[in-house]
Amino acid sequence: MQQPTVLKETVIDCEGLSTQEINQRVKALAAEGIERVKLLNPAGKHNLAVGIVEPIEIEIIGSAGYYCGGLSSGLNLEVLGNCSWSLGENLMDGQIIVRGNASANAGATASGGRISILGNAGARAGISLKGGTLIVAGNVGYGSAFMMQQGRIVICGDAGDNLADSIYEGAIYVGGNIASLGADAKLEPMTAQDWQFLETELNSLEINFAEYDFKKIVSAKELHHFKAQDWFKFKDAY
Amino acid sequence: MCGIAGIIYRDSQKNSRLGRDLLRAIAPLESRGPDSCGVGVYRPEVRHSETKLVLRGTAQVDWQKLPQVLNGWAKIVETKQIDLDCWVRLELQNCTIDDLKVQLAKHFPQVHLQSSGQQLEVYKEVNDAASLFAKYNLAEFAGSHGLAHTRMATESMVDNLRAHPFMVAPDMCIVHNGQIANYHKLRFELERQGIEFETDNDSEAIALYLRVQLLQGMTLETALANLSQDFDGTYTFLVATPDKVGLVRDKYAAKPAVIYESETMVAIASEYRALLNIPDLDPRGSFREPDAGEINVWSVGSSSTKTLPARVISY
Repeated sequence: MQQPTVLKETVIDCEGLSTQEINQRVKALAAEGIERVKLLNPAGKHNLAVGIVEPIEIEIIGSAGYYCGGLSSGLNLEVLGNCSWSLGENLMDGQIIVRGNASANAGATASGGRISILGNAGARAGISLKGGTLIVAGNVGYGSAFMMQQGRIVICGDAGDNLADSIYEGAIYVGGNIASLGADAKLEPMTAQDWQFLETELNSLEINFAEYDFKKIVSAKELHHFKAQDWFKFKDAY
Repeated sequence: MCGIAGIIYRDSQKNSRLGRDLLRAIAPLESRGPDSCGVGVYRPEVRHSETKLVLRGTAQVDWQKLPQVLNGWAKIVETKQIDLDCWVRLELQNCTIDDLKVQLAKHFPQVHLQSSGQQLEVYKEVNDAASLFAKYNLAEFAGSHGLAHTRMATESMVDNLRAHPFMVAPDMCIVHNGQIANYHKLRFELERQGIEFETDNDSEAIALYLRVQLLQGMTLETALANLSQDFDGTYTFLVATPDKVGLVRDKYAAKPAVIYESETMVAIASEYRALLNIPDLDPRGSFREPDAGEINVWSVGSSSTKTLPARVISY
């Protein structure tokens, strides 16, 4: 008879521990060969699971604070709650799933990996994204994808004002309404490869891609070099 | 960074918790700025002919002389001395609070009128929340609503005068997180209208701008909408009156806020974790973040919320 695979799992109760103690324990457990760790009572603490470069599965039972999962590479993080500002900031590789909402700056400057938010994300989702994939099953707020440089953002719901302002490269897919596009952003027709990408990515989250009228936004690349006659194309802040 | 919090009860049975709930909401936010802490609490009204004052004193102030100083201006009904400060209940005699302020400044130049009104009492301290609450026994304060603030000073020095909340008018105050970018221009314009600034703190411009708007007859809602057009910079701020609490977020959503609403209360804080500290949160209650440019106004003791549509950004 085949033996079932049993992951070596352990639990950390965050109550009464400092963030440093929690993250050090996670790292120590990963070094011991523990494959999965559960964090209980996170109570919205900041900097949980930050700087994790070991391939460990982390499950946070409850809501996390700022920078959750940030500066990590190769972790596999799941949050059963909401996340505050800057979820997965500067993520290099790995997987983050939030079964709740994320606040502003989700996935900021991430250069790899995949961040999935099954609820809504706040303002500036995917700001300065440098690679990897950010998926938001709900809506995103004001100024999302600002100055994105690479990678892909999938938004199943609506996008707030100034989406994709001053992006360099990469693509953004929006299933719902776009309040307004930022400077130098343009709509581009969806290709078969785009639909294929969405199908693969969203199927893995049990989201039916065909239910959404996805639109693709890319950089028009007209403002990469400043020319005085383009002045009117720059959307002024005031 | 600064931390702000606001508590509003829709069920007056909860009023006895106000002080404790404010402390629970503001204490975790001290990591956002530990320079000073302050609260504005709306406590049961005094008699309609009376006014409450919270006066900040120094070691040089002899509070025994207060009745003499105010003689002919106000009849003092009750005074309570707390450390160097004085809480006063009085009846104004043919004068306004502004007249009284002039009289106080003349005889007690060291004294600062921290709050006035029939409900509002403002307490602040260059210290942590626990010390502030212990000094004035604020945890035992009952009331319908209140604001709290913990400061990281960025624009002006750390002292009691520049600590939040800032008074707008009798019974009206604000707490602010952020920076006002066009402060000097706004201050110039307000001063030309005869408004006097007491400090060089940019948050005071919010309070005084609202004062002018309300004196011109605007509703709170209109005044807040006008403010979000005229103020550049980053801000999330709360404003309270005896019957309303407003929350305004700048058009870039640069400063945080989380709103918890249930049938019995509304709580607002800079961070989610501060709200988790409040006991018996209703699982049917909602948590949400206001959008960029969003203005919310709650009526105290009622279940209504007015969310004004986010301002249309025109280019």
